[in-house]
Amino acid sequence: MGFMNIGIGGFVLSVAAGVMFWGIAQAEPLPQRWVSAGGSISEWVVELGGESKLVGVDTTSQHPAALRELPSIGYQRQLAAEGILALKPDLLLGSDEMGPPPVLAQLQAAGVDIERVSVSPQLPALQANLQRIGQLLGDTKGAQSVFDAYQQRLQRQQQWVSQAQAHEAAPTVLLLLGHSGGSPMAGGVDTSADWLIKQAGGINLASHQGYKALSSEALVGLDPQVIVIADRSLEGEQAKQALLKQNPGLAATRAARHGRLIGLDPTLLVGGLGPRLPDGLAALSAAFYPESQPLTADAKLTP
Amino acid sequence: MNLVVKPRPLLIALGVLLLCAFSLSLALGPVSLSLADTAKALLNLLGFPVAGAEQAQLIIEQIRMPRSLLGAAVGCVLALCGVAMQGLFRNPLADPGLVGVSSGAALGAAVAIVGGAMLGGIPAAISPYLLSVCAFAGGLLVTAMVYRLGRRDGVTHVGTMLLAGIALTALAGAAIGLFTYLADDATLRTLTFWNLGSLNGASYPRLWPLLVVTLGVGLWLPRRASALNALLLGESEARHLGIEVERVKRELVLCTALGVGAAVAAAGMIGFIGLVVPHLVRLLAGPDHRLLLPASALAGASLLLFADLLARLVLAPAELPIGIVTALIGAPFFLYLLLRGRA
Repeated sequence: MGFMNIGIGGFVLSVAAGVMFWGIAQAEPLPQRWVSAGGSISEWVVELGGESKLVGVDTTSQHPAALRELPSIGYQRQLAAEGILALKPDLLLGSDEMGPPPVLAQLQAAGVDIERVSVSPQLPALQANLQRIGQLLGDTKGAQSVFDAYQQRLQRQQQWVSQAQAHEAAPTVLLLLGHSGGSPMAGGVDTSADWLIKQAGGINLASHQGYKALSSEALVGLDPQVIVIADRSLEGEQAKQALLKQNPGLAATRAARHGRLIGLDPTLLVGGLGPRLPDGLAALSAAFYPESQPLTADAKLTP
Repeated sequence: MNLVVKPRPLLIALGVLLLCAFSLSLALGPVSLSLADTAKALLNLLGFPVAGAEQAQLIIEQIRMPRSLLGAAVGCVLALCGVAMQGLFRNPLADPGLVGVSSGAALGAAVAIVGGAMLGGIPAAISPYLLSVCAFAGGLLVTAMVYRLGRRDGVTHVGTMLLAGIALTALAGAAIGLFTYLADDATLRTLTFWNLGSLNGASYPRLWPLLVVTLGVGLWLPRRASALNALLLGESEARHLGIEVERVKRELVLCTALGVGAAVAAAGMIGFIGLVVPHLVRLLAGPDHRLLLPASALAGASLLLFADLLARLVLAPAELPIGIVTALIGAPFFLYLLLRGRA
C-alpha cells in the first residue's frame, strides 16, 4: 500500500508540474476540475495524464483501479444535477449516452462546461476524442503521439493476424456473456463482441443481431473451435472445469474438448476503443493462433 | 381503532409537516448552501431582489424548487388515488395499480424507450416528452379497458374489474417482457431505472401538466367524500342513500387513471405511497373520507419529499432511485400493519 501511495503521489506531482508548465505556455484558462462519465473516456483521460484533474467519475469508470476511490456520480444515463454540482466541476466530460437531457441543461445553466465525445469504435472518432481531451489538458502534442502509437499497435495487430492466417486457418468463435445461471448470451453481428472477434482474426459463428440467449443445443450445433467468455472470474483451470461441469452443452463443444476456452475482461466490450484494447486483442489472437509467436506491446511493424 | 385524532389538529399538524418537508427539500441537497445564501435565494424567489448568492439562487430555483414541487404533487396525487381505490374496492389492500394504470404506463414507457431505440434513436430533446406521453397514454388505455371489461348491462362490477385488472396487468407484463428481450443493454438499463422512479431532472415545463392534474384531482375527489363514505356500507346501501353509484365509480376510476398516469409519466414508477399513506392516515384519522382525503394528500406529499431527501443525500453525489426508498420504508411498515391487525 505504502509503495502505491508513493507511486500515485509521484505521478500526481509530475502531472501537476506538467500542468503548471502548460499553464504558463497557454493564456486561455483550462478546466481544472473534471467529472468524467464513461469507462473508456475516463481511462483515456488518465492515459493522457489528466488523472489529477478528475474529481468524480461515473459507475462505468472502473479502470485504472484508482478511479474507484473517487466520488461516484452514479450511472451515466441517470446523472443527478445537484450531486455533480456538489463536486464543483469546471467540466463534465462524457459520451453521447450521457443523460438525462434536462439534467445536462441544468448543469450547463450552472456554468459547467459539457463536452461530449463519441464512443463509436472508429479510429477517426478516437483521434478526434483524444485531440479534444488533449486540448482540454493543454497537451495536444502528447495526445497526438498517444494516438499515433495506438494506431500503430492496431495496424501491427492486423498485420500479425494476416501473417498468422498464412500458416493456420482462422478459427470459428463464439463470444459468450454471463455464463452463470441460465443460458449464456452470445454476441451476434453489429456488436462489439463481433468486432473484437474479427479484429483478433476469428470467425464469429453467431449470426443474430445483438446479444441473444443461446440454448445448450444451439451451442453444441454451432460447435465453435474457440469460446471466449466475457467474465473476469474465469481465471485458472479450476474455474473453467467448474464452468464445464455446470454446462454440459458447453462441455460438448470442440472448444471445451481441446481446452480452448478464453476469459476476456468484459469491460473491453463497452465504450468503444479504449487504451487496454490492443493488449486484449493481442491476447485473444494469441489464443486464436496458438502456433504463431504472440504479438508483444513493443513489436515493430515489419515493412 | 381508538387512535382517532380530532380533524382540525390533525390537518394542522400534517400541514406543518408538509411545510417542514418542503423547506427541508429546498434547503438540503448534495451541494451544501449556507443558511444565509438559502435565505437570500428564497427572498429572490419570492420577488424581493437581494444581491449575492447567484449559485444558491440557481440551485434552489432551477433544481430544488421544481424537484420539490414535483415530489409534493406526485406524493399528493398518489395518496389521493390510493384512498379512491381503497374506497372503490372496499379493500384496504387496494392500490392504484389494481385498475391497470401502473402496468399500462410501464408498457407505454417500454414502447417509448425500446421502440424509440429500435427506430434508430429519437432526438434527445424530445425523447423525455415522448416517454411521458406514452406512459400517460398507456395508463389511460389499460385503465379504460379494465373499466370496460368490468361493465355489464350498464353496471360496473367491482369484482370483475379487479380480476380484469389482474389479467391485463399480467398481459402488460408479458408485453414488457417481450420488449425487455428485444432491448439492448443501454435501453434495458434505462427501462430498469424508469421502473424505480426518480424526481431527478425535474423542470418547470414538464411540471405544469402534473400540477394541473393534481389540482383537478385534489379538488374533485373531496367532493365525492360522502359518496365514498356511503360506498363503505356496500353498493346497494349507497344506492339507497341516494348516491349515483355508477357515476361515482366512473369518476373514481377516471381520477385515478388521470392522476396516477400523470404522476408516473412525470416521475416513473413510485410504489407504496398509494398503498401505505391512506393506511397510515386511517390509523390516525379514522375511516371518514371527508378527513381521510385531505389528510392523505398532505401526508403523501410529505412522505415523498422525505423519501426524496434520503434518495439524493444517502449516496451523494450519486442518487438512489426513489422507488427503492419508498419500498424500503413502505414494505416493513405494511408488514407491521398486518401483524398488528392480527394481534
